[in-house]
Amino acid sequence: MLKVSGLSLQLGNQLVLQDIAFSLPQQGILGVIGPNGAGKSSLLKLISRALSPTSGQILLRQRPLSQYTNQQLARTLAVVSQHPPPLFALSVFQVAAMGLLPHKSWFETTSSSDRASVSRALNKVGLSAKSEALIDTLSGGELQRLYIARALVQQPTLLLLDEPTNHLDVQYQHQVLQLLRELNIPVLVCIHDLNLAALYCDNLLLLDKGQQVAFGTPEQVLQHQQLQQVFALACQVSRHPALDKLQITFLPPGAA
Amino acid sequence: MVKLAARFSLPRQRNYPLMLLFTLLLLVASAVFSLTLGSAAISINEIIAVLFGTAGTPALADTVIWQIRLPRLLCAMLVGAGLAVSGAILQNVSRNPLADPYLFGLMAGAGLGATIVSVVLPPQLFSVAVGAFAGALFAVALVFVFCAGQHWRKVEVTLLAGVAVSFMLSALSSFILYFAEPFAANRVMFWLMGSLSRTDWQSVLLLAPVTFLVLLLALALRRQLDALLLSDESARTLGVNTSRLRLVLLLATALLTACIVSQCGGIAFVGLMIPHLVRRLFGVTSVHLLTGSALLGALFLIWVDNLARTVLPQQEIPLGVITSLVGSLFFLTLMRTKQT
Repeated sequence: MLKVSGLSLQLGNQLVLQDIAFSLPQQGILGVIGPNGAGKSSLLKLISRALSPTSGQILLRQRPLSQYTNQQLARTLAVVSQHPPPLFALSVFQVAAMGLLPHKSWFETTSSSDRASVSRALNKVGLSAKSEALIDTLSGGELQRLYIARALVQQPTLLLLDEPTNHLDVQYQHQVLQLLRELNIPVLVCIHDLNLAALYCDNLLLLDKGQQVAFGTPEQVLQHQQLQQVFALACQVSRHPALDKLQITFLPPGAA
Repeated sequence: MVKLAARFSLPRQRNYPLMLLFTLLLLVASAVFSLTLGSAAISINEIIAVLFGTAGTPALADTVIWQIRLPRLLCAMLVGAGLAVSGAILQNVSRNPLADPYLFGLMAGAGLGATIVSVVLPPQLFSVAVGAFAGALFAVALVFVFCAGQHWRKVEVTLLAGVAVSFMLSALSSFILYFAEPFAANRVMFWLMGSLSRTDWQSVLLLAPVTFLVLLLALALRRQLDALLLSDESARTLGVNTSRLRLVLLLATALLTACIVSQCGGIAFVGLMIPHLVRRLFGVTSVHLLTGSALLGALFLIWVDNLARTVLPQQEIPLGVITSLVGSLFFLTLMRTKQT
């Protein structure tokens, strides 16, 4: 689905990303983790073509990213990121319906099947009952789910998300990530919380200061020594007895 | 500012077809009524007879309607629709709820052009309209030259460049008028405050195609315009080339506004006020906003011109005076009702 090789990005004098290489299969969630400034968001911007790489290649469905037109890219890849409040109050349905844009020509009207696909997407993220509500009345979790619904209306073959659980209450964090698991399309997500990453991601990419530290399953990436080095903090890695997933506990400085 | 704009704009989109029909009916009724107003008394029956070419209508009524009142009425509708549509587009593409069609120093440019033609150049060389049109385009060109390259992609830079160009060209106009004969200043000022008294069929032939083309272009790009409401980044992920969209629509509205200014001077507040009103009455998304702005803008300016022609006997009030008064009162009332 997605294959990245030798990817580097230099902005001014700063080398933001250096020699990143990984691939994302047809299914599953790939979590990009690392401390602040590791280059997670920059990597997402390169894959969504908001930035151009200094060197290296990104292949999306075996085709170089640079060969896609804007419209083709928007039909293949959807991005969910943080937005400022909209200029004028829009309804939930109107925001979700924006996802139709890449599939429409200039004078093409919105058909009943388009409206049905928007309703299906809202239903999938659990927002059907609020389709007429104004988006400034939604909670953080609902807003995030709405942006995922808009992405689903785009009918993408790959979904990118930048910190979708930021500023969300615990129950909404799990709600959003559980929703991603149920979508059955490949997902690449930048995520801060390592425990959430361990719980929901099939593969992880650990970045530090623009360098790729590790890529693989959570068991391969979330290793005690590696994490201590990258986050400069002592930590314990254990396995949750009931969930059979890794659990990471960072210890306060001096407590180790 | 964004919060304030959002408060101004509660969607009432379920009412859209009803509002559209109601406004359309009101527009037709207002247009017919407007044709009855004037120093020559012509009844509605006579107007209908003249418009449908029924035999036996008085020659005077025929001339007054076809040569004076009808072109003026059509110009009022086109100017109102054009200014409101331009304002609506600019508020969305500049992500600034206070944007209006005179954003790029267009009025100041038109004023300078009109001043040069009236005061500096030999009489009858160019009409005031030609001077104003050239001046308005000159102002836009200055803003775009300044913002060339990467700069114009930043909306705030474009807005500030517009303000700076506006002050620069106004200063030049004031300088020329300061040394001119006293009546020249009066002539230019009256015209700059907005008037439909010089409009004729030529004005209609200029304004009609430009207004309809810009409206059609904006309607074709309605989904892209809607996508911009969230953020540039969000629009780009939907495949929108935000820079190109902005440039195309800024140029289209600048051309439309320059044409309007050249025919009737500056009519403030229409482009700012009508879109806000339309968002409340018709809805926020571009289809509702653009169609609503065109109809309500046309309706509003018909009544402003009716007032301008009839309030004082034998004298016209500049349209800009009425629109500014109504517009400012509208905003103050709206803010007060929202606060309570």
